[in-house]
Amino acid sequence: MAYVSMGEAHRRITEYLNRFCDAVSYQDSSTLCRLLSFSSNSPPLLSLADALNVFQDASSLIRQSDKFSEYGEILAHLFRSLQSYRVGNLVEAYLAFEKFANAFVQEFRNWESAWALEALYVVCYEIRILAEKADKELTSNGKSPEKLKAAGSLLMKVFGVLAGKGPKRVGALYVTCQLFKTYFKLGTVNLCRSVIRSIETARIFDFEEFPRRDKVTYMYYTGRLEVFNENFPAADTKLSYALQYCNPKRERNIRMILKYLIPVKLSIGIIPKDELLQNYNLHEYTKIVQALRKGDLRLLRHALQEHEDRFLRSGVYLVLEKLELQVYQRLMKKIYIIQKLSDPARAHQLKLEVIAKALRWLEMDMDLDEVECIMTILIYKNLVKGYLAHKSKVVVLSKQDPFPKLNGKPVGS
Amino acid sequence: MISDCFLSWGSFLLNTNLVIILSSFSQPGAAVSTSNDTYWMHQAPSLQVHHPVPPQNNYQSPLETKPLYETPFQGHQRATYPQEMNSQSSFHQAPLGYRQPTQTAPLVDSQRVSKVQIPTNPRIASNLPSGFTKMDKDSTAASAAQAPAYVSVSMPKPKDHTTAMSDPGTFPKSLRGFVERAFARCKDDKEKESCEVALRKIVKKAKEDNTLYTRDWDTEPLSTVTTTNVTNSESSSAQLSSLQNKSPTRRPKSRWEPLVEGKPFVKPASTFSSAVKFGVWNHQNENNKKSSESFQKVDAATGFKPTYSGQNSAKKSFQRPVKRQRFSGGAATAIDDEASSDSDKDLTPYYSSAMALAGSAEEKKRRDSRSKRFEKIQGHSRGNDLTKPKNANVGNLHSRRATALRLSKVFDESGSRAVEDIDWDALTVKGTCQEIEKRYLRLTSAPDPATVRPEDVLEKALIMVQDSQKNYLFKCDQLKSIRQDLTVQRIHNHLTAKVYETHARLALEAGDLPEYNQCLSQLKTLYAEGIEGCSLEFAAYSLLYITLHSNNNRELLSSMSRLSEEDKKDEAVRHALSVRAAVTSGNYVMFFRLYKTAPNMNSCLMDLYVEKMRYKAVNFMSRSCRPTIPVSYIVQVLGFTGAASEGTDEKETDGMEDCLEWLKTHGANIITDSNGDMLLDTKATSTSLFMPEPEDAVAHGDRNLDVNDFFTRT
Repeated sequence: MAYVSMGEAHRRITEYLNRFCDAVSYQDSSTLCRLLSFSSNSPPLLSLADALNVFQDASSLIRQSDKFSEYGEILAHLFRSLQSYRVGNLVEAYLAFEKFANAFVQEFRNWESAWALEALYVVCYEIRILAEKADKELTSNGKSPEKLKAAGSLLMKVFGVLAGKGPKRVGALYVTCQLFKTYFKLGTVNLCRSVIRSIETARIFDFEEFPRRDKVTYMYYTGRLEVFNENFPAADTKLSYALQYCNPKRERNIRMILKYLIPVKLSIGIIPKDELLQNYNLHEYTKIVQALRKGDLRLLRHALQEHEDRFLRSGVYLVLEKLELQVYQRLMKKIYIIQKLSDPARAHQLKLEVIAKALRWLEMDMDLDEVECIMTILIYKNLVKGYLAHKSKVVVLSKQDPFPKLNGKPVGS
Repeated sequence: MISDCFLSWGSFLLNTNLVIILSSFSQPGAAVSTSNDTYWMHQAPSLQVHHPVPPQNNYQSPLETKPLYETPFQGHQRATYPQEMNSQSSFHQAPLGYRQPTQTAPLVDSQRVSKVQIPTNPRIASNLPSGFTKMDKDSTAASAAQAPAYVSVSMPKPKDHTTAMSDPGTFPKSLRGFVERAFARCKDDKEKESCEVALRKIVKKAKEDNTLYTRDWDTEPLSTVTTTNVTNSESSSAQLSSLQNKSPTRRPKSRWEPLVEGKPFVKPASTFSSAVKFGVWNHQNENNKKSSESFQKVDAATGFKPTYSGQNSAKKSFQRPVKRQRFSGGAATAIDDEASSDSDKDLTPYYSSAMALAGSAEEKKRRDSRSKRFEKIQGHSRGNDLTKPKNANVGNLHSRRATALRLSKVFDESGSRAVEDIDWDALTVKGTCQEIEKRYLRLTSAPDPATVRPEDVLEKALIMVQDSQKNYLFKCDQLKSIRQDLTVQRIHNHLTAKVYETHARLALEAGDLPEYNQCLSQLKTLYAEGIEGCSLEFAAYSLLYITLHSNNNRELLSSMSRLSEEDKKDEAVRHALSVRAAVTSGNYVMFFRLYKTAPNMNSCLMDLYVEKMRYKAVNFMSRSCRPTIPVSYIVQVLGFTGAASEGTDEKETDGMEDCLEWLKTHGANIITDSNGDMLLDTKATSTSLFMPEPEDAVAHGDRNLDVNDFFTRT
């Protein structure tokens, strides 16, 4: 830390105070944002933090002038947070920031217009980031991380402030998205439900009115929730919306959307082009797509095993696993086509024996009972049209369209 | 004077409204609004909802609010305004109906200034002794002007009760005046307390003599009250304590609350302050009347601690006004019964000691300290009673003990301290009981070291349970008591894990899933703390449980991702994962193969899914296979041969019979072919198959539990 003289420190603090108060009185949101944005680690903020650590009694400075003391509570907590942040005491920094945020929200409530919405966004963002950092610190000290949870309830409070009539309501979706991020991180996804309900049912909100950025984020998260529920048509709509309106320059975001959209599309029988996977660096799906094309069960299982951790964490594992049935369908279709070449008259009779042999070539050892079981499931789920003659161990395929395409509908519908 | 205003308030406001209004004051923050003016504007036309407007704003800008005050004054819609007016204009408006407004208005104005402080947080405000001292002065000063006001109060309550006494509305007006005069003479809380006791006695006596309505209360000498003050309080407390010769009078707010708080005396301080808070004198009276009424009722009917309802209705109403109804009158008996049923036994000794103290000088001292307790004098020592200090003595560290002692004292004094504030470390007990068997009893008080078994005894107890030949209920009960003893002694080690593991396994065996879940959640924390146990065995169980019973994809994903490569090599875990795969893909053949090869208790959890899986499988088959499927095949594939491991032919046929039985109860269509083999007619079955209502379903939800056992358990 560079040496800062007392006078210099005094000057910096006063300057910050002046800028803060001016920003508020001129309703200059962008300046206010810059003044509050901790995680940007901007030089002015860092030098202010150094100054605060030199000049310990900043609160007396605040008290000196009526102009400052009007926001005394906000500023005092903000300074304390910044001080702790600078010396790397993140838990303390979080606690002070939480108090600051509470005071700020209180003040925000009193401002009639929504001029400070951007600044409130910064506060919401910062508190979440700071809470995550504080939790990391707590975990490394062997304590239970709980700050993110606290940040979640504070964000909920902010949502309450915005969710009403008036110009501030357009900010509600941003806070909702921050809440989603928090809940997904905490693994308490079920808490999203109440927020979603108020966004989707409350009359004060017109979804189209929200900023595009927030709409995309919202659709991304709600789409992910639908993936968990295996409600593929809904997930498809939401994620497709997100993809459509996402800023095309934000490759990372597009990639994140595709990570969920691809399994969803696969589940409803739509296979992506290889270029798409390459362009967005989604190699984990390459083999799965291949397996679906070829009807290669072994490849699918290998691909799942290879990326098991990743798929489990992102929550698409079970969805991908269910693609197995489509792979079986493909395999049967192949057998059918080959049989047709040699003996067109009896091509529609697939012996279980033959299927078992094909599977053995793929190093999948299954006895006839198991093959029969899978065939009954395929027929039941309408992936194969026909019937199974148990006595003769033969699948008799329908002469018309024996392997119906999914055409955008989920399996078994 | 304040009470005067309040009185007129109460005469037309329903109690609930008051509650809403008053509680709205408790959060002035919510209403700190820059748009306060607009608030009023838009409120004026609707006049429906009460908004919590901080009073000071109205005084700062009287010009704007003024019109609002005046409309009801001049207009005729007074009745539609009550909620709107309550925060300030009611001072003007209320007396209007009964007195000349010109007369009250100046008085009100003089009151305003002091009135400003009052609607803060009602809970705090009502507890402040200064609250009523001020009121006393006021009422003394204005008593002359005041008396008529009471006389003219109208009674909103219906008067059609057969028992005149039970109806607060028929309380003679003159008696009201008498009571008010009596209180006006009291100089401080202590006097007020005794005064109330004395009044109570007088009223009761009057009731008994049937002179309540005939006596001229206006001329009744006040000396009857004041001269007998001290003796009255003494004798009446003695009387009260003799009345309740049995067991506790009220259930403590929390199970852990020191029992001293359950003292059986009516608390005049809080009762009175509740009246101040509600500002409803007749409600206060009603309160008292009701309590004394239920007093007698309860007394006569059951002989149960009569003071319960009396004190509680007053006290609870002061804390939680909305629920007041529940605590007064007959409901009190029910609560009493409940309270006594499980706590009588162990509480009686404490209570009897508390009761012995009741009528003595000790009691008087206690009352003093009670009335002072909100002044937060902490060092005040009175630690001769009750369990808390005794338990605290066991704490091993000196400092801990000190905190505990101090804490328990503060605790005794404040009484209202939240359970969360207590340092449990310092209060941990160390058991001395040597008996191995112990019945489980849900604690309703702080644990007594004499009945808690130390670790070595608990270990023996666990072995006893494991070796026991008795039924699950006995074992469950014993294990629960072991768990309880472990908990109160805060033992977290391999023994704890072992106890929970044993219990979880037994619960699985008996199909007692709720108990199993309790154990599992404890085990998760224990394993997370790094205690060795059969963590993989239980990881497998929890995986199976999620797959088969909770059907929650997210939970499943997260528990799967928590498994390390190492874990997945474990036999039980691997088995559970395979079961998971079989279930998600619907592979019934695989499922029933795994069912037969299940390690540990995995099959117990699978048991509970077998029915569903069979139904699914037969459904698949009947839709997909044509024309028939031999029943013998179903027997083999769907695990009806489960018992055939012994390999005898008889068992095989048993499986056949079971299978036929199952198919019939599920609506399947069976035909016999020329060879006499049973076949499932798939086409017919595909439309007729259904899931029957479980025959053995029971109302209490656990078919493994006999109804009688269920009742003894609860």
